[in-house]
Amino acid sequence: MHHVPAYILLFVILSLVQIFLLNNLVVGTFLCPLIYIAFIILLRLDTMPIVLLGCSLAIGMLMDMTMGVAGINTIATLLVGFLRPTLIRLVSPREEFRDDGVPSPERMGVSLFWSYIVVMILLHHTVFFTLEALSWGHFMRTLLRILLSSGATLLLVWLTERLFTAKISARA
Amino acid sequence: MRRLVEFIRSIYVVVLFVLLEIAALSYYARATAYTEARLLARTNSVVGGLNGLVTDVGNFFRLGRENRALTIRIASLEEELARYREAYAAGKLKVEFREMGDSKYRMSEALVVSNTVGRSHNYITLNRGGADGITNGMGVITPDGAIAGYIVDYSEHYAVAVSILNPVFRGSGTPEGTAYQGAIRWDGKNPHFVVLEGLSKYADPQPGQKIYSTGFESYFPAGLLIGTVESATLDEVGTTYTVRVRLAADLSGMNNLVVIENLDYQEIHELRQSEVIKYLETN
Repeated sequence: MHHVPAYILLFVILSLVQIFLLNNLVVGTFLCPLIYIAFIILLRLDTMPIVLLGCSLAIGMLMDMTMGVAGINTIATLLVGFLRPTLIRLVSPREEFRDDGVPSPERMGVSLFWSYIVVMILLHHTVFFTLEALSWGHFMRTLLRILLSSGATLLLVWLTERLFTAKISARA
Repeated sequence: MRRLVEFIRSIYVVVLFVLLEIAALSYYARATAYTEARLLARTNSVVGGLNGLVTDVGNFFRLGRENRALTIRIASLEEELARYREAYAAGKLKVEFREMGDSKYRMSEALVVSNTVGRSHNYITLNRGGADGITNGMGVITPDGAIAGYIVDYSEHYAVAVSILNPVFRGSGTPEGTAYQGAIRWDGKNPHFVVLEGLSKYADPQPGQKIYSTGFESYFPAGLLIGTVESATLDEVGTTYTVRVRLAADLSGMNNLVVIENLDYQEIHELRQSEVIKYLETN
């Protein structure tokens, strides 16, 4: 249980950055990075599915309330949290990792780690922006928003992962 | 036995997931732009204070630009006022104009707490609420007099306005110097442009021509600037123009805003929902 305070800190910091920085940041209509998904991505590999679901619900609902969008964050985040164990099994041909800690390139292997976070982010952003657009009328626009925002989120998640694991190893 | 426990555990998670998703989806399906605004207004009573702090820091760095814009605005208003004073002194103003009495509009200022332009439904949150006399249906304009949105919900100390960059925004505009008007709508594509629809073919809009508010919605007085004509296309039948309008307000750089209260709004609103109108609409 020693890692719980670190995750509470991660939850708070990611929420603050999302609510007060990214939600107010205006970089055109195509770039809306959703960094908070890093919280679900970086939960330990041995996290139980029910805990994953609970964490997804918590951060999804918080984001819905602060962004003023009805349920979209919760829908997308729950799906990602639910599919995470299956996804990890799919991207890793061998069952075992070095240990069941925080997902990182060192632990999972560089290509596995990247395919894992890319799929997680794309899945989440696809659901989010499709539901937000509410129609297939702006299909190309929505597609572009998904891709560009996913790119920005990917960069931010990677940075978060570097900072978070650096902190953990410094403590241990 | 262990397998059975494992099976039940995995099923349990799936069932919980499905239930939660159904709950979230049904909430999403029933939500309207107004429930979203309500959600924002309620949340703001919690995070509003912190959000305000962040905005304050941002505002500090924009003070210089804001000051210049205000000085320019004061100069132009002074110029206009001087013209009226001159005319008054010369006795040129008509009697009825001089005895016009008080305006039915009241203006007050508000600070932007948060504002989006990148989403498909955009809202502006202001640091004024019910305690400051804010009610629904008040217009929100920039200090230089361009339309930005109108208030749809408020809590005690905060108010949420639908931005002109929101598909639920209802407005109408008229090209300068004409009596024709059309509906203002955001197509969700670019935060610098809106569309003026259903403008008569006789209006003949020219690029650069100014588009003003009509005052029909009773959120705004007539004659407020909305934007300028960028391009206009006649529809296939050749009866109406669809005009692309470049917004006068820079929605992404707003800081101080002016809130307009129409003292007759309640009266107009009630009249529009009167029994007679309802009867006509249902038959």
